[in-house]
Amino acid sequence: MAQLAPGRINWGRIGPTLLLIAAAIFFLSPLITMTRFALQNVPTFRLGWSTLFDKWSFSGTTKAFHEKSFTPTVLLSVRLALGTVVLTLCLLIPTALLVHVKLPKARGLIEFLTLLPYMVPPIALVAGVIGFIRPNARWFVASNYSLIPFYAVLALPFTYRSIDAGIRAIDVRTLIDASRSLGAGWGTTLRRALLPNLRSAVISSSFLTATVVLGEFTMAQVLLKRTFPQFLAEYGAREPQGGMGLAVLTLVATTALLGLFTILTRRKGAASGAGGITETLSAGPLTVGGGAPR
Amino acid sequence: MIELIGEDRTATGAVPPARRSWAWLGLVPFFLFLFLFLILPAIGVINKGLHTSSGTLSIKPMTDVISKERGAFRNSLLISVVTAAVGAVLGTALAYAAATAKRPKWLRSLVTSFTGVAANMGGVVLAFAFISLIGRQGLGTKILKTIGFDLYGGSFKLASPAGFSTVYLYFQIPLMVLVTLPAVDGLKQAWREASSSLGGSSFTYWRRVGLPVLAPSMLGGFLLLFANSFSAFATAYAIGSGSANFVPTKISFYLQGDNTSGKSPAPYALSAWMILIIAVSMGGYLLLRKRAERWRS
Repeated sequence: MAQLAPGRINWGRIGPTLLLIAAAIFFLSPLITMTRFALQNVPTFRLGWSTLFDKWSFSGTTKAFHEKSFTPTVLLSVRLALGTVVLTLCLLIPTALLVHVKLPKARGLIEFLTLLPYMVPPIALVAGVIGFIRPNARWFVASNYSLIPFYAVLALPFTYRSIDAGIRAIDVRTLIDASRSLGAGWGTTLRRALLPNLRSAVISSSFLTATVVLGEFTMAQVLLKRTFPQFLAEYGAREPQGGMGLAVLTLVATTALLGLFTILTRRKGAASGAGGITETLSAGPLTVGGGAPR
Repeated sequence: MIELIGEDRTATGAVPPARRSWAWLGLVPFFLFLFLFLILPAIGVINKGLHTSSGTLSIKPMTDVISKERGAFRNSLLISVVTAAVGAVLGTALAYAAATAKRPKWLRSLVTSFTGVAANMGGVVLAFAFISLIGRQGLGTKILKTIGFDLYGGSFKLASPAGFSTVYLYFQIPLMVLVTLPAVDGLKQAWREASSSLGGSSFTYWRRVGLPVLAPSMLGGFLLLFANSFSAFATAYAIGSGSANFVPTKISFYLQGDNTSGKSPAPYALSAWMILIIAVSMGGYLLLRKRAERWRS
């Protein structure tokens, strides 16, 4: 771009600027109208300059908290998120470390395998659960917690990449050798030498997993599990204002969490910055077509 | 520890192969996990899609379901191609606008953060947001009407191809921005200067340099967006109150009817088609992504 005298309009920037403004309008207006709908109890057809400031309150939103299914569905989703995070970390950290330290030849294979969940969209995966797993293990699919391993699969492309990037950013071999030569066993080495250095990667992959689980709708809906997103859809169809209130809250909570984790991984994990949350998020959708709540 | 070192010293030749075999064993939990919870269900789906309800192996369920659900396939393909194409063009343009904007310094980081959130938004929340905007009782619908444009004057509905496409673009465009931003950043100022010092116009620059460099990213992004919208379920379900006619919603419809009987191969044949279509487009995306990285250094 050529240097311009201050105060002059750069005509070459008109197109890009207009595009940015149009994008801002397109992306912000649904959020604004949803917030108004949630907070102002005035039907749209009555809304005008004279009623613009009437009846703003949180009562439409707080009504949702008194729904009978609200607390149990939130609790189930939180438990599923915790379970998926634990399963993911316990499975992926040892696997990724093993590949890095002992089996560098297996790296290509493992990377390919972690991309496989991209090929099977959640709706097809759940068809497999109903058509193949349920007939063979009815007791398993009957439990709400049977969703955990499938959610771990949906988040796998992101969680593995995030953990792998974290491991690559530190000198694992030296840490292991140093710790082992000081007499530490494998458990102590993992806990006291490796994990503190992988903090940023662990935080971001946990966050990614939690977002996938807290937003997943497809599998829960088809398997008739009462998770929070499933409740949100059902409640919003019945009580539009309360539903939109909850939707706004969900959005605010997710964004706040994202901000919190960005700060956490940026500041304290500066030494092991790779695999950070922003980097991983910008790699693409959490999962294609529905692990992220599409 | 000490013992181990001693062992290493005495039998240097024999120990490494034995160790390698132990290390491979450490990958078993991971392989088992993927096999049980991803590969087995996927194979189960394809297998069931290739068997008729009487249990004979045949390609017929796969071909039957296409003629039976022609509408769902047509709708899914139409909305996926349209939102992927529009999303790819607008997303790249937006990435370019954000990457080259000099003035508000915070603009670029705002765009990257917001697209990170919006690309992963979707489903029920997004459906509600658009119902509040351009639903029949939406505020946007009302504002358009007061300035003289009746959105619902014609055949527009939120649960129509045009309505669904508008909603899908809300996550398609940001996703494309995320995918092409690194490629747009990779366009070097020196290339433009070289082009113009050789007498090339802005048009020549884009046709001979800019677009060819961006092409792998754009094509890859198109395939990613196509797969993304083809497999979208929650948004379509929440807007169409479960009756939207797309391949994923049809699968869910059959599966929920299947809760009792379990005989019809239709949902499995549809799912097998989905896996095939998604695997091809995602495979293409992943290959093109490798190629696109060539220009970055």
